[in-house]
Amino acid sequence: MSKGVLVDITKCIGCGSCTVACKMWNKLEYDQNVSSIGETAKLNDKNWTVVTRTSAQDSKGQAVWRFAKQQCMHCLEPACASACFSRALQRNADGAVEYYPDLCVGCRYCMIACPFDVPKYEWSKAAPLITKCQLCSTRVAKGEAPACVAVCPTGVMKFGDRQELLQEAHQLIRREDLYLKTVYGEKEVGGTCWLYISDIPFDQLGFKSGLGSVALPSYTHSFLKNVPIIALGWGVLLTGMSFYARRRNELAKARQERLAGKNGEGDADADDFDEEA
Amino acid sequence: MVGAGAVVAGCASEPAGGKGWMPNQYNVAANWPVQVKGRVPIDSSNPAIDRDDTKCILCGQCLEVCKNVVSVYGYYELPIQNDITCIHCGQCTMWCPTGAITERNEIKKVQAALASADQHVIVQTAPAIRVALGEEFNLPPGSLVQGQQVTALKKAGFDAVFDTSWSADLTIMEEASELIKRLTTGKALPHFTSCCPGWVKFAEYFYADLQPHLSSCKSPQQMLGAVAKSYYAKEKGIAPEQIFSVAVMPCTAKKFECQRPEMNAAGILRGNPAIRDVDVVLTTRELANLLKSNGIDLSRLVDTPYDSVLGESTGAGVIFGATGGVTEAAVRTAYYLVTRQDPPAALLQWENVRGLKGVKEASVELPGVGTVKVAVCHGLRDARVVLEKVRKQQSDWHFIEFMACPGGCIGGGGQPRTSLPPSDEVRKARMANLYKLDGTAVKRASYQNKEVMDLYQKFLHAPLSEESESLLHTHYVDRSHQLKPKEKV
Ligand code: SF4
Ligand code: SF4
Ligand code: SF4
Ligand code: SF4
Ligand code: SF4
Repeated sequence: MSKGVLVDITKCIGCGSCTVACKMWNKLEYDQNVSSIGETAKLNDKNWTVVTRTSAQDSKGQAVWRFAKQQCMHCLEPACASACFSRALQRNADGAVEYYPDLCVGCRYCMIACPFDVPKYEWSKAAPLITKCQLCSTRVAKGEAPACVAVCPTGVMKFGDRQELLQEAHQLIRREDLYLKTVYGEKEVGGTCWLYISDIPFDQLGFKSGLGSVALPSYTHSFLKNVPIIALGWGVLLTGMSFYARRRNELAKARQERLAGKNGEGDADADDFDEEA
Repeated sequence: MVGAGAVVAGCASEPAGGKGWMPNQYNVAANWPVQVKGRVPIDSSNPAIDRDDTKCILCGQCLEVCKNVVSVYGYYELPIQNDITCIHCGQCTMWCPTGAITERNEIKKVQAALASADQHVIVQTAPAIRVALGEEFNLPPGSLVQGQQVTALKKAGFDAVFDTSWSADLTIMEEASELIKRLTTGKALPHFTSCCPGWVKFAEYFYADLQPHLSSCKSPQQMLGAVAKSYYAKEKGIAPEQIFSVAVMPCTAKKFECQRPEMNAAGILRGNPAIRDVDVVLTTRELANLLKSNGIDLSRLVDTPYDSVLGESTGAGVIFGATGGVTEAAVRTAYYLVTRQDPPAALLQWENVRGLKGVKEASVELPGVGTVKVAVCHGLRDARVVLEKVRKQQSDWHFIEFMACPGGCIGGGGQPRTSLPPSDEVRKARMANLYKLDGTAVKRASYQNKEVMDLYQKFLHAPLSEESESLLHTHYVDRSHQLKPKEKV
């Protein structure tokens, strides 16, 4: 059964607790230049989730602020995973689309494939990895809510069984005039684990519209063929196994050093993502 | 590591993420409630407080105080309008265990002014600073450092050091006159005090319908600011443009207050509305940092008196810093204004309005006016009870004092973090020394302040005169459209 998170945009006060929780739980650095809360907030390799602020008008014409928490949508049929030939992205039984750094060859096909522009690349690192929200898969495996969900003071997010959340969402939007009569994520690209309800049209809040309800993996192949430069540039490079092997070695070395650092010097605070091979 | 590792090419692997930590209350199965969670929202443009996300551990303390003491968080409906509701009281800065939330630091602006040759930099210190600043220099809670702090500020390079207790006396002259006017006409009663900017913004948000009750008097900080760039400038022959006016306050909301657009009375008088009455507010903590960065050890300094012509104060102006102090000071002078006689001894030691009880009530006979019933609130959650009574017209009070912070300004959100969270023990120690200072003062009531009387004689003529109205009085904003108050919390 796929898990899911139902986000009620109307309850968000923009406190950013969720963004801090994600940093804490995943040991992510704070980006000095790119904020994770507010008008200029942007997802990147350090910001797996952000809360953006938008000025809008509600149905009565009153000026309002709305906040939108963004992160990986955890597609039911993830385009990123089907674009990844080395199986570094895999959807698990809970529905989390997990990233396995050790399997990644760095081709960045997932970045091109993702309809939500979610996977990010650690451009500044010597052995860059892809990064994105993991739906806190190890917490979910223990029956705990994702970190961001657990800390939200106003109860914007509800974690549970996706199917039940979907039902709940429909009941809510039917019952309360406040909401628009649509659940974002129900059908988009074949459905996503993250579901949103709102009183302000989603496209005004920065959500991608017009994605269609067909899962993208079925397009992926032809889609990738439509980007010949990248396909050629990287394709040629990556089919050469030497690169593949070298990268595997680099990552293995980085991992070794991480472990050595932890055990040897007791440097438990070392940031896993900080260390470079 | 829990969860299945992926197996590809015979090599076990694990997913990214999850290598950090979360406070323990969050590490329970999803179906259990978590009592204390999250944190207060802070707008990046908040003029009073600021947060360093890298230091936040999501302990929930800021939210606890904002909700249960200040009664702001959780007191409005969702969805929000176009504002992040905050009254700038800074109590969250007193509770945050890691120091993630602080005042918006403005020390650099003051340092730049002090370094510039053509600026005449003046500073005022609030009544509550003198019983708290010493704590930053290892003195026991509540230690009185009035004279030493003046010396310290002079050493730091300020050209003139003024006392906000002076303008507290001025405030009382205006406010007691306003009160008597209301008492005799029966209009806009009960009279609400207006010297606490956190309370004022709270009233503008949640009780805009009661706005006619608010005194039109500016706070002592803003009165001194307006007078400094008009009267003082004239007396000294300094152009108002050249004066850089700093206020040291026990309060973060004062940073918000000095930036309110309407706080440029001296500028308007001058024909240059760009001039701010007060340029920068520093908290007690910021002043301590400024002194420490200059190597000035307050505890080793001798005493210096405040500078004329805004430096004299009475006991009444000093007790402004404690809950009940404004009421006691106002009544002392109101008594004089209606009888032209000094108040009786009981009004110089008015125990019923002193102390830390959430809501205090008392009454006093003003000859010729009748019985005046007063209430004193500090901590806005308690104030709501009183305000609801006024709203339902179920009250017979004539005068109500409101302070956002528990204990009044001595417990303000800009004070030294001597105990965490703030304790009544520290509050009591600070209050005790303010009352001691009042008790030993020669002059105990605001109308006895000669420098205030000089101001009236030379410049403003009389309380509530046209000149006084334009410099010392203000108006308020209706913020009720910026939120939907919750009917029931
Ligand atoms: S949102 Fe993008 S990264 Fe996330 S699962 Fe879907 S395709 Fe993959
Ligand atoms: S689910 Fe976990 S990894 Fe994803 S945004 Fe929330 S805290 Fe971050
Ligand atoms: S924790 Fe909740 S209220 Fe705060 S920003 Fe995130 S979703 Fe919004
Ligand atoms: S300054 Fe006061 S009102 Fe604003 S968030 Fe902090 S405690 Fe709440
Ligand atoms: S009190 Fe400080 S550390 Fe705790 S949640 Fe609030 S900002 Fe974060």
